[in-house]
Amino acid sequence: MTQMFSVIGTAAASSAASTAVPLAYPADSWDQMFNIWLGLAVVIYLIVALPMLYFLYRFRYQEGVNETASTKEYESHGLEVLWTIVPLIVVIYLAVQSLTLYSEMRNPPPESLVVKTTGMMWSWQFDYPSGKTTYSELTVPVGKPIKLELTSRDVIHALHIPAAKTMEDAVPGRVTHLWFQFNETGEFTSFCREYCGTLHSKMQAKIKVVSQEAFDEWINAN
Amino acid sequence: MQETVANPWFRASFREWIFTTDHKKIAILYGMTSLLFFSVAGLMGMAIRLELNQPGVQYLDPDLYNYLLTGHGAVMLLWWAIAFWGAFSNFLIPIMIGARDVAFPRLNQLSYWFFFSASILVLITLIPSQQIKMMWTGYPPFVLHDTAGPTGLYVLIVILIAGSTLGTGVNFITTVLRFRAKGITLGKTNLIIHGLISSIVVQLVGVPAFVGAVVMLFLDKYIGTGFFDANTGGDPVLYQHLFWFYSHPAVYVMILPAFGVFSEVLSTMSKRPIFGRTSMIYAIWAIALLGFLVWAHHMFTSGMPQWLRIFMSFTTVLIAVPTGIKVFNWVGTLYGGAIRLNTAMLFTLGGIFMFLIGGLTGIPLALPAFDINVHDSAFIVGHFHYVLGMAMTLGAFSGVYFWYPKITGRMYPERWGKISFWLILVGANLLYFAMMMVGIEGMPRRYVDYPEIDYWVTLNQISSVGAVFLAVGVGVTFYAWFKGLSGPEAGRNPWGSPSLEWTVSSPPPPQNFDSFPVEVADDWSPYKYH
Repeated sequence: MTQMFSVIGTAAASSAASTAVPLAYPADSWDQMFNIWLGLAVVIYLIVALPMLYFLYRFRYQEGVNETASTKEYESHGLEVLWTIVPLIVVIYLAVQSLTLYSEMRNPPPESLVVKTTGMMWSWQFDYPSGKTTYSELTVPVGKPIKLELTSRDVIHALHIPAAKTMEDAVPGRVTHLWFQFNETGEFTSFCREYCGTLHSKMQAKIKVVSQEAFDEWINAN
Repeated sequence: MQETVANPWFRASFREWIFTTDHKKIAILYGMTSLLFFSVAGLMGMAIRLELNQPGVQYLDPDLYNYLLTGHGAVMLLWWAIAFWGAFSNFLIPIMIGARDVAFPRLNQLSYWFFFSASILVLITLIPSQQIKMMWTGYPPFVLHDTAGPTGLYVLIVILIAGSTLGTGVNFITTVLRFRAKGITLGKTNLIIHGLISSIVVQLVGVPAFVGAVVMLFLDKYIGTGFFDANTGGDPVLYQHLFWFYSHPAVYVMILPAFGVFSEVLSTMSKRPIFGRTSMIYAIWAIALLGFLVWAHHMFTSGMPQWLRIFMSFTTVLIAVPTGIKVFNWVGTLYGGAIRLNTAMLFTLGGIFMFLIGGLTGIPLALPAFDINVHDSAFIVGHFHYVLGMAMTLGAFSGVYFWYPKITGRMYPERWGKISFWLILVGANLLYFAMMMVGIEGMPRRYVDYPEIDYWVTLNQISSVGAVFLAVGVGVTFYAWFKGLSGPEAGRNPWGSPSLEWTVSSPPPPQNFDSFPVEVADDWSPYKYH
């Protein structure tokens, strides 16, 4: 069990070796967004926290030394404009960066294998184009983009694939979608991410990633 | 009702507490009710942490766990993060603007008793057959399902709360617009008044959408209409739009008053006027206004059209700008001060640091490319506990410590206050930082059980240890407030603040001011320390 999830824990390490093919798409785009944000967040944190801690020390109340505050006016329009404009540029940059990454993460490649996915309390049904149906187990070929077309039979569910770092809600009366592609074979787990009652935490589906030949054989069996 | 205000609040008889229209007594009623429910919801949170301490289902049946989650969320938000500011509004606003009471004292009384009635109904959910298990968000179609619990009770509670909110809303907006003493312009009033009033305006505008949404839930479940039921042509996503149209701005209802406390305490304890005061006021109102244009970031994975996701992503990140202005101005306020690190100040500084982390972890949630992997994960839960849980609570505690001498006439024990602060700060950071990390690692929220993955277990156990520190810290603060009642006399103005509430005796007399109308000098400012 632990082995199966180890990949989620090494997100930072896997993205550091960006030349290698990632375990799954679109996890690489998410890692990129995560790293950009984390870098900026740490810098902004220090820009606020360091001066604040310094002022708390430098201007602390001390008997006989610093008993009354300075009476000078310290208004500075220049500073105020600076800390309005710079954050504005930073967040617009982040939103634009997100926009470009998100369109890759959202829009499935045209050659994707489409699997109709239906959520119900508390399992998942997968319908393949060939007419084959499985429950709570999704078998997919390695190296091929998969598009899940999601809907629900009862309440709202959501399918999250930790290894591919993507998710979407399954809403009754609507068809939503997500896509992913595994580049290595193995067994992975997906979790339901929208609260759906008593057994919400048990609503998992196994994702079996197999070679194209094994997949063809499996889909044509029976 | 002259007789009901004849005594200062702490000497009032039981009958006076029931029939009072005095804003200070009503403030105490709000505060006490709120603290009681805060404690109950806190214990629910502890039970949740106990269950999550190890994988598997050990102590709580999943349905009971779901009830506790629902209760913890709904009560913490409605009875603590929103209602506790009702105590602040009631106690401070009339005194700070030089008024004898609010504009409509009787309506104020009615608002409290609506709130009290809702409180009784919430207690009914403790009965096993009446447990609401739909989460505080109450998403259909799950709510229409039998296992969700009594939807009607939930709807009735929301309606009573809304009645209270709307009454308070018109009352305090009128009070601030019409009852200010001569010379106290809107630009000169304390920043906490802008914080409280902006949050009240947001409630007045947003709550009707929320009430509309839950009434439609009620009709769907009991009358058989089909607003949210896909089987009869409805759309469950419609509910989410209506719900978040208020419930996103509601987070500013909870945090803007805390910003007000931060400003008051920071300025008073460093003896420096607020840096960039005008831009602070604009920032508060910009946040309140922008708050209404961003709700769909709660729905990035709900199946909305792509253009709406992009649009709401851009509006959401813009909120970082006025919030950033406030944080930088707080840092600027410290410059050149004579800073006293007493309990009230420590809680404010802690609140700002918690808000900083909460804000920086909030930015990526505005980015669909990031949200797509952490939506409905423990990361979100950690993030909003930094902002709404801790920044709000530390702000509220700071406010109580700061105005404690004014409210009770006594001084709280500094030593216990400081011990409490450090316990809360360490505990909360262990608890919520570990929670965000386990969310990044993929752990979903609202799970009673989780697979046995080593670092999920470790991070959950760190969270649970933090929760114990946090709970003990809160307990120590309650002890400090209790012990302070027999503390030394505080006097009129222990902090040396020129703000109006410090010019009256402690606790304030029934009519607030000895002479009326209140007059202030031409160059008066609540932050003029020299």
